[in-house]
Amino acid sequence: MIRQALAAALVLAGVAGCAARHAATPAPEGLTATLDSPVDITLHWPDDAPGAAGRMVEFATQPGGPYTTLGFLPPHQTSYRHPELLPETPFYYRVRPYYGGTSGEVSVAVPADAPDLTASDPQWPNPRAVAHPGVTTAALRDDPPAAAPSGLAAKVMTADGIRFTWTDHATDEDGFLLEGKPEGAPEFTPVEVLDRDIGSCGLATLPRERSAAFRVRAFRYGALSTVAYQRTGRAPG
Amino acid sequence: MMSNRAGILAAVLAAAGLLATAPAALAQVGSGNWTPDSPSFKVQEKGCGKVSDLTFTLSCSSGSGEQRAERRYETYAGGTHQFEGYFKITSQSGSRISLKQTFHGDQGPFFLLAVEKGGRMYSVEGGQTIGGGATVGTTVRVNTINQVGGTHKTYVNGSLKHTTSSPGGDFYDKLGAYRTASGAGPITVTWSKIRFWHQ
Repeated sequence: MIRQALAAALVLAGVAGCAARHAATPAPEGLTATLDSPVDITLHWPDDAPGAAGRMVEFATQPGGPYTTLGFLPPHQTSYRHPELLPETPFYYRVRPYYGGTSGEVSVAVPADAPDLTASDPQWPNPRAVAHPGVTTAALRDDPPAAAPSGLAAKVMTADGIRFTWTDHATDEDGFLLEGKPEGAPEFTPVEVLDRDIGSCGLATLPRERSAAFRVRAFRYGALSTVAYQRTGRAPG
Repeated sequence: MMSNRAGILAAVLAAAGLLATAPAALAQVGSGNWTPDSPSFKVQEKGCGKVSDLTFTLSCSSGSGEQRAERRYETYAGGTHQFEGYFKITSQSGSRISLKQTFHGDQGPFFLLAVEKGGRMYSVEGGQTIGGGATVGTTVRVNTINQVGGTHKTYVNGSLKHTTSSPGGDFYDKLGAYRTASGAGPITVTWSKIRFWHQ
């Protein structure tokens, strides 16, 4: 504790760059930020969100934000390294789990000579809401399976573009994640982040995504962690 | 020297993000004392490029001709200049679009941060990968620090991703959407919280 107090005092004096190195600032509820070098920070948190689909890690350089997402991480990952940072800068971190079920998977093989269908719908890549009158709805918080998207469909629009559509059943989602798993990849990872109520989007595919499986997840955020803080030191060299 | 009790309190406040500090100090990132700038800018629309405040759209898939929707900020010379901004691609089926440029006066683009399919960010000069994660819907933070006559550094989401020598002379910043020689739209990108400093 004395070590933390010394570090904080030096932060106030504006000279934390030298002496705060290697000090860890624990935050309540388990999130810690450790200065591994003057410009490298590693976060640690407990694996304490059963049922979470993953966690989102965010950072800011002012206590009130704006916070920027560093990544959507697998559910049981409990650390994150943030390297080669802006020197002599305050860094604030928080993590939060996210929850929600996925649609069924669709497998897509995009032929290299796929015809260009964009003329029929020039705005096809734009995320947009799609009305499905009479569709059953449920809250992700109460009934995740019933609130998961359904009817995911993929249409090859160009030799490197796919349009996805789905039916939204959730009433309380914070957004959707389009997740992809290229052939041979071990697991799905997010490839697009979409606002709530969206039911259609386009994806510009990478070569390795020409043959891939996709699914869409309606998600809601869990509780934010408290904020962990570190201040970087002078850049080496 | 601060007492142990006061230091402990400061640590708690710092951890909670409640440290009372002057706004100017809070805004500072990077070494040194920065002075905020408010450079003027001109909007540039060419080809299928359209600008609406801080939303920049290339609506066509043309792989030729000049397609740009950008802000061109005023020229600076000498000193060290920092740019900070956040971009979010809201729609993309095109690729290899420059989103942020540091121009070397009349000598042309000096550093171009571009994005291609899959969210890969790269430097157009040399093709070096700068980072991933600029996927549709994801906000990315960019800081560039140009020490004129020294180095030009690019930080993405707080991390140093690109360093190159900076020659002397005049420079200016551009942001928006610009079709590179090998690129094509469509793309829509929104920038936010644009700030400038110098020292």
